Amino acid sequence: MMRPYAQRSLLFLAAVAMTFASLVYADESETAARQSAARAILAPESEQATIVQDMAANPSPVLGPIFEAWQRSQVYIYEAPDGARIPFILMPADGSASKAVRIDNGEPLVGPDGAPIVVDETVMKPAETFAKLRRAMRSTMDLLALADPAPAIRQSAILKLGMKQSPEALPILNARLAKEQDKAVKNGILDAIALINLASPDPQLQIDALNQLKKSNSIPSRELVAKMAADETLSPKVRAAASSTLKAIDNHLFWVDFFGTMFRGVSLGSVLLVVALGLAITFGLMGVINMAHGEIMVVGGYATYLVQCVFGSGVALAPFGISVNLPGFGFDPNSGIYQSYFLFALPVAFLSAAAVGILLERGVIQFLYRRPLESLLATWGVSLVMQQLFRLIFGPANAPVYSPAWLLGSFSVGDVIMNYNRVFVIIFAVAIVVGTSLLLAKTPVGLLIRAVMQDRTTAACMGVRTRKVNTLTFAFGSGLAGLAGAFLSQIGNIGPSTGQTYIVDSFMVVVVGGIGNLIGTVISALGIGTVDQILQTSLRNPVIGKVLVLVGIILFLQWKPSGLFATKGRGLEN
Amino acid sequence: MKLSQTLQAMAVGASLLVGTMAPARAAEDTVKVGVLHSLSGTMAISETSLRDVLLFAFDEINAKGGVLGKKIEPVVVDGASNWPLFAEKAKQLLEVDKVSVVFGCWTSVSRKSVLPVFEKNNGLLFYPVQYEGEELSKNIFYTAEAVNQQAIPAVDYLLADGRKKFYLIGTDYVYPQTTNLVLLEYLLSKGVPIENIGGGLRKDEAGKVISAGKYTPFGHTDYQQIVAEIKQFAATGDACVINTINGDSNVPFFKEFAASGLTAADCPVVSMSLSEDELRSLPTKDLVGHLGCWAYFMSIDSKENAAFKKNFFDWLKTAKVQGIERTNRVTCSPMVLSYDGVYLWKAAVEKAGSFDVDKVREVLESGKITFDGPNGLNTVEENHHTKKNTYIGETKADGQFKIVEEFKQVYPEPFLKGTFVKE
Amino acid sequence: MKQEVSKKEVLIGAIVAVFLIAVIPGLNAFTPAGSSLHVSDFNINLWGQYLCLAIVAVSIDMLWGYTGLLSLGQMLFFSLGGYALGMHLMLMIGKLGQYKSDLPDFMVFLGYTKLPAHWEPFAHFGFAAFAVLWVPGVVAFIFGYLAFRSRIRGVYFSILTQALTYAACLLFFRNELTLGGNNGFTDFKTLLGFDLGTPGTQRGLYIASAVALVLVYALCRWLTLTKFGKVQRAIRDSENRVLFSGYAAANFKLFVFVLAGMIAGLAGALYVPQVGIINPSQMEPAKSLEAIVWVAVGGRASLIGPIIGAIGVNGLKSWASQAFPAYWPIFLGAMFVVVVLFMPRGVVGLPAQIQEAWRRHKRAKEATAEAAAAATQVPKDSQS
Repeated sequence: MMRPYAQRSLLFLAAVAMTFASLVYADESETAARQSAARAILAPESEQATIVQDMAANPSPVLGPIFEAWQRSQVYIYEAPDGARIPFILMPADGSASKAVRIDNGEPLVGPDGAPIVVDETVMKPAETFAKLRRAMRSTMDLLALADPAPAIRQSAILKLGMKQSPEALPILNARLAKEQDKAVKNGILDAIALINLASPDPQLQIDALNQLKKSNSIPSRELVAKMAADETLSPKVRAAASSTLKAIDNHLFWVDFFGTMFRGVSLGSVLLVVALGLAITFGLMGVINMAHGEIMVVGGYATYLVQCVFGSGVALAPFGISVNLPGFGFDPNSGIYQSYFLFALPVAFLSAAAVGILLERGVIQFLYRRPLESLLATWGVSLVMQQLFRLIFGPANAPVYSPAWLLGSFSVGDVIMNYNRVFVIIFAVAIVVGTSLLLAKTPVGLLIRAVMQDRTTAACMGVRTRKVNTLTFAFGSGLAGLAGAFLSQIGNIGPSTGQTYIVDSFMVVVVGGIGNLIGTVISALGIGTVDQILQTSLRNPVIGKVLVLVGIILFLQWKPSGLFATKGRGLEN
Repeated sequence: MKLSQTLQAMAVGASLLVGTMAPARAAEDTVKVGVLHSLSGTMAISETSLRDVLLFAFDEINAKGGVLGKKIEPVVVDGASNWPLFAEKAKQLLEVDKVSVVFGCWTSVSRKSVLPVFEKNNGLLFYPVQYEGEELSKNIFYTAEAVNQQAIPAVDYLLADGRKKFYLIGTDYVYPQTTNLVLLEYLLSKGVPIENIGGGLRKDEAGKVISAGKYTPFGHTDYQQIVAEIKQFAATGDACVINTINGDSNVPFFKEFAASGLTAADCPVVSMSLSEDELRSLPTKDLVGHLGCWAYFMSIDSKENAAFKKNFFDWLKTAKVQGIERTNRVTCSPMVLSYDGVYLWKAAVEKAGSFDVDKVREVLESGKITFDGPNGLNTVEENHHTKKNTYIGETKADGQFKIVEEFKQVYPEPFLKGTFVKE
Repeated sequence: MKQEVSKKEVLIGAIVAVFLIAVIPGLNAFTPAGSSLHVSDFNINLWGQYLCLAIVAVSIDMLWGYTGLLSLGQMLFFSLGGYALGMHLMLMIGKLGQYKSDLPDFMVFLGYTKLPAHWEPFAHFGFAAFAVLWVPGVVAFIFGYLAFRSRIRGVYFSILTQALTYAACLLFFRNELTLGGNNGFTDFKTLLGFDLGTPGTQRGLYIASAVALVLVYALCRWLTLTKFGKVQRAIRDSENRVLFSGYAAANFKLFVFVLAGMIAGLAGALYVPQVGIINPSQMEPAKSLEAIVWVAVGGRASLIGPIIGAIGVNGLKSWASQAFPAYWPIFLGAMFVVVVLFMPRGVVGLPAQIQEAWRRHKRAKEATAEAAAAATQVPKDSQS
């Protein structure tokens, strides 16, 4: 299965020592490296990992792209007419076709006649990899990464090297330090050196190292430092330094957690806000309790799914046993146009949800404006019907929606990690809130909506066609729900019962915020999101936090029965 | 194996003979068999596939002459993901329809709900889905993976892969709770220090650690906090996640995981509840390289599996079942273990020469009933569980698993708690 | 509305009660299995469950039909009653469980070595039986007190009750609450020494449910006839006028809410030993909404309507979810929309509604005839 650890680390050290040598004398070893890579690819599965492991002793930079391609299943094997098997990768070339390049010598792949071989990517089966093999490749690539042009990659490789705490790596790190230009990476190297020195027998070196780690607030070193602080065999001075470093790191961690929690709170609040905004219109402004709000959201989610399918290879649906084939454009999943499907999905989601909203308003709700309890019940019936319709049209399973690449990944500010999709939801929430309030406050349509919602009879007397305005407002609220559904597809599920997950939460947001007030909804969503995250962090338990939030809301309404920002009216029965 | 083939051949021959002589088959020539799964509600996603494979197995057996010369007449009832209803439908199957055997249940709670009904009516239930163990009813046979046939091999694999830190996360119900309890004991016995087990520890009043793991409710959608915690946990390297999250919540979990920049290389996630069938509705690109652990993978390269897949997919094309999904289907471990259950029951009935529950049980408990299924050899052991292979697979972008490790013929141990000795 | 109970009503009531309490179980016990009059053990058990659901429906009607309080969390109280008796039943399993331990099985495999203190009193049947009423009662009181004091009304009340049952559902799913988590309680063995597996015990539970239903019906019927009932309906129709007339409407509402909670708790306690399981999914918001459907379909503000609705809809569900699993939810949802839109008084009120509609139709016809005679145009209404 696995080599014993000691043996592995010896091999690793040898590899470390040789890396830099090989980086200098790259040319000579490149051919050898290419050939062993080709050998590894062609070897039987049981031997591949061993061959790759042995290659760690002589890691040429040329291996990086090869291993990467191999892991991504982009290495293919060409079966020559003479029976030879030649592994190759596809390199982007001029024009549309890509060029096949042999792995063993870096030359273009040519047939017996000397002409380049044209390969159809779609029919080729890539050479496969598995965990153990990838692990072996990883250790080789880690060594290469020390000299990677991208600072972030260099930094993480340096940290990994430091965490191994082997003094043999010190000269390499020092050499790297002399050359390094990037400030952050430089600090990383200093940290890595300090990490290694923590294990040094010299107390002064240990103390210096602890001071360095204290200065940089190195979170990964926390466990090692904590162990030292508790280690009775160390000298009191070292232990004191360790304790002080530990305190500094813990302090830093507290703030990282704090800001991290705040960020996550705001992002959860934004999700709630996006989900509840449509409801704030239909419930808050119109007074209609729409229990099918969640299902209208799901309509937006399914619209996103369909747009994704249309941009890809299409989709086959079979509602009620009738098979419907929706053809797709067949864009390449890595192409820019496919990646931007989500932007096209947004208006589609809005419009389809709004259309369902119009049907619902015309079909059911218009008869129940004066009977809110009944509208609650009738729309619940509608939600049951819609859920089952989703099931019949799209199948009982969730629809797999892929996030575009630009929504994946994260960046960090002072160790606080922020995901792009979470940043995006915040921007998205701000955009639709601003858009909605502008629409209500500044446009003639907004004026009509406000007029009808404030006093239906008077508005009617002034010649406003209230029925049309009702339908329009409901459609707008539903469209916002559709946008929410489109967004949810990026962070969670879209399935027949997805809507049910959010319905209680979104009603809570609107009730706490106060009816008929967008600002209230915003503050209440952000408040509930943040409190939820703080409770989750401090209680280390996601459920109790949620339960406490719900209980808190019931108690909160004791204090402010009509929510944060109640619309003040003189009427008794409102 | 030889014997069963001979028996099968004889049965086919006999059925042909009977078929030509008596074209109109009387009702007495059938044996009623119950199928108890949720065909509506939240569990329908998973359980409908089990109904399909069971009906396929019945048709396959009937085409070869049935069991003891009787054709199987399935009685399909819908538990509707409603646990009291499961008990009601079990009663109906046993008391009104008087079936000889029932194949069914997915969730532990549904099994717990029908267990008293089966014990009271002396019925026979075959249960096919990986579960927490700690149960042994004389009326239930568990073709499912016990914890030592799934979670323990997975941990062995990760330990061999050099993983030193284990983060335990699951949905808050009995399967994850019990599995993590067992894993905690197992990891400690393997010398993993307690501070390297992430997710949180539960202590009893005396401060003794009794369980570990982070638990989220069903349908949980917000995994930001937990993923941030995992990211910190994994920062020191060599970490992995043991995931017993159920169903829907896996999507937000894996989306958050991928978005936060964690990769399968840094910190692999081994999921206990995600089979090929569930992967159909997950964005599998986010899962590439993460691990699964089951008694069967669709990608097993054997002639039994190839034949099973071909026959099943062919059957789907023409099956006369209302609302059945005919395309884009896969096979997975719970399906195959359901299928195995039918054949194990058939073998036992034929050996006992009777449909009588007591006689069938006696034969099953003998430890001699085997079936060479798509997943390899299954043997019913005295403890009502089956001995079988366990496989570890890596998720691929097409929703299939690449098998990376195989544990041959693992003996089932339903009662694991407190059995590990520190090495 | 009539203040007196007519002799006819008492007579019909008595006949139905005798039929439910004595005749059906009698047919189960004393007729041979093959006879056409025989009621099978399976059906007795099923009907016992339906009667329990009917009791919940009556409690919802007291709240919604008579007081105008639409509680979307009534199944919470039902579950609390069920859990209270369930705890007793779990302790009665004794060493018959999987682990042959005095502790319930789920505690053993979660690593508990001692029975938590709050479980201990439930070993006594008397305490558990009492808890069946007071646990839901106290929860209803606390929530009702807070809600009515701050004048939370109408849809706000509905939404908050839904949040309450949702929060409770999340809480009960947690294994750390020591109430069995998702699995809840199952595998009950005995109640008061009777083996729950025998047909006799199940028949006994059926009779108990039937008696409870009759008593609850009688109690509610009596309440609605008293002055209390008048105030109740007045609150429903115009709460402010009741307030201005000097009645403490909040206290009336609180009383009804607590009473309805206790009735639901009783129903839950009778339901659990018959169905053999109680788990948090009973508290899911959708379950309470489904119970509202029974009342709406049967006809609210009539007491008999909810009973018909609960039994009818559940019977229909049992059959239709089998026959048309794919279309059943659509049918249920559509039925509900239709009832809400066009049959505000449910099935029970349908005859009266048809009569009225017929009369209106006739009158409209006459009116149109007159209008046509006068040759004037009816102005079009622009407002819905």
